[in-house]
Amino acid sequence: MSVECLGRMDQVSEHGALLAPGDAAEVAVAVGGIVEGVFEGLHQVRDAVVGLLGGAPVRGDLAALRPLLFPRLGGLISGIGFIAAPGLLTDAPWYLEWWQEGASGEPVQLLRDMDPSSSAFYDYTHWDWFAGPRSGAEHTLTGPYVDFLCSTEYSLTLSVPVLKGGEFVGVAAADVFVRRFEIAVSPLLRRVGGPAFLVNAHGRVVASTTARWLAGSVFRGAPGLLARPCRTLPLSLVAAQLPHAP
Amino acid sequence: MSTADISGGARLAAFAPVDSTARVDAVVRRLTDAIVLGLVADGEQLPSEAELAAQLGVSTVTLREALMALRQQGMVETRRGRGGGSFVRAPREAPQALDRLCAFTAEELRDLGDHYAAIAGAAARLAAQRALPEDIAPLRRTLQEMAASRDQAQLRRLHGRFHIEVAAASQSARLTQEEIRLQADIGPLLWSARGGDDGTSARHHAIAEAIHRGDDDHARLLAERHVLDAMEHLIELRLREP
Repeated sequence: MSVECLGRMDQVSEHGALLAPGDAAEVAVAVGGIVEGVFEGLHQVRDAVVGLLGGAPVRGDLAALRPLLFPRLGGLISGIGFIAAPGLLTDAPWYLEWWQEGASGEPVQLLRDMDPSSSAFYDYTHWDWFAGPRSGAEHTLTGPYVDFLCSTEYSLTLSVPVLKGGEFVGVAAADVFVRRFEIAVSPLLRRVGGPAFLVNAHGRVVASTTARWLAGSVFRGAPGLLARPCRTLPLSLVAAQLPHAP
Repeated sequence: MSTADISGGARLAAFAPVDSTARVDAVVRRLTDAIVLGLVADGEQLPSEAELAAQLGVSTVTLREALMALRQQGMVETRRGRGGGSFVRAPREAPQALDRLCAFTAEELRDLGDHYAAIAGAAARLAAQRALPEDIAPLRRTLQEMAASRDQAQLRRLHGRFHIEVAAASQSARLTQEEIRLQADIGPLLWSARGGDDGTSARHHAIAEAIHRGDDDHARLLAERHVLDAMEHLIELRLREP
């Protein structure tokens, strides 16, 4: 997706009101701020994991993360935790220290069958939210996708790599339900005159103000529409490219 | 161990002559059903080749080919020498399959099949419209793992995963939730109904490729037919039972 700078042009909204130039660019920055807020939380989780990993870590060691994880649940975040690289822990080859909001808002640990001999879903290393950080991406935004591993909800997963001594030891991640993200960003998107929507790095629409491009559909570029990255994140705001001033 | 006493009810039906058009595949399918559904017990010795061929109404050449296929799938083990012969090796959980099937009436199975075909068809159609290459990757990986696996229990789980991944590629949480529910209800039964021919594998690949091409109508048709064919086969099996 090509990204061009919005220049000096004026923008006319649906209602004919003249908006300040660069509004779409400002909205992209503001949306980026919301998403970066989640990533900042993940950086804290990452640092905490690095701090508590000793020589021969076991599952129980990761329980020390809970006071950090629990307060972050609610609001945008529906699930948060640390996903160990296979073989990191000495007492379990596969493990997630993963907490989700329970029915009445209390934290509930996700306990999955991580036994290869009884589950077809134990190997989480192929999911983008794991493979992205493992391949070195600083900020990975997976989805929207139907997360059948954790919640069976239409979700986004934000994830960052956890490195100890330069070695990849796992992923700090958070789930954001698409419907909650939509509620959070809609007021911002509406500030853009005309259709506006957010797409992930693959062009999948995340949130939108137009039925033409709903969450889940794929944007492959269209005449007159311009994608602007939200800060340095793998997320872009697509809105009308303004006609050049006469 | 004595030669199996092939008599009574479903067992009799399982070993009734296959029709004149049937060949190796039909024999493989018939014997696979009998084994997977627990009509013949784990470790049970099959009748001699000549005897079994006669019961099934096929030539011994056809039967031998079928037994070879079953050996490759690990469902039959042949021991040479004195006391040798062909022995059944039931996959894990097999004995429950027939019980599970009989918990449904034929009408209930038909209705389940209609429901599941609607869900699977709609999911495949939307997946074809909406999937990006990275949504196809998991499907292909699952099919590769299935091709490499000889373990029946693992194959059944991977089969369930494949269909859940197709549903997830539709981008619909509700269709995916419904797919998971239906897989839990009748996934193992449908898997056991696939028969031994492994045209199943070709059908899965065809569904994945139709989604990849974005051919939504074809993807839906294939997914519906996949469910309905398996269900028809299950209903046939169910009707042989009292």
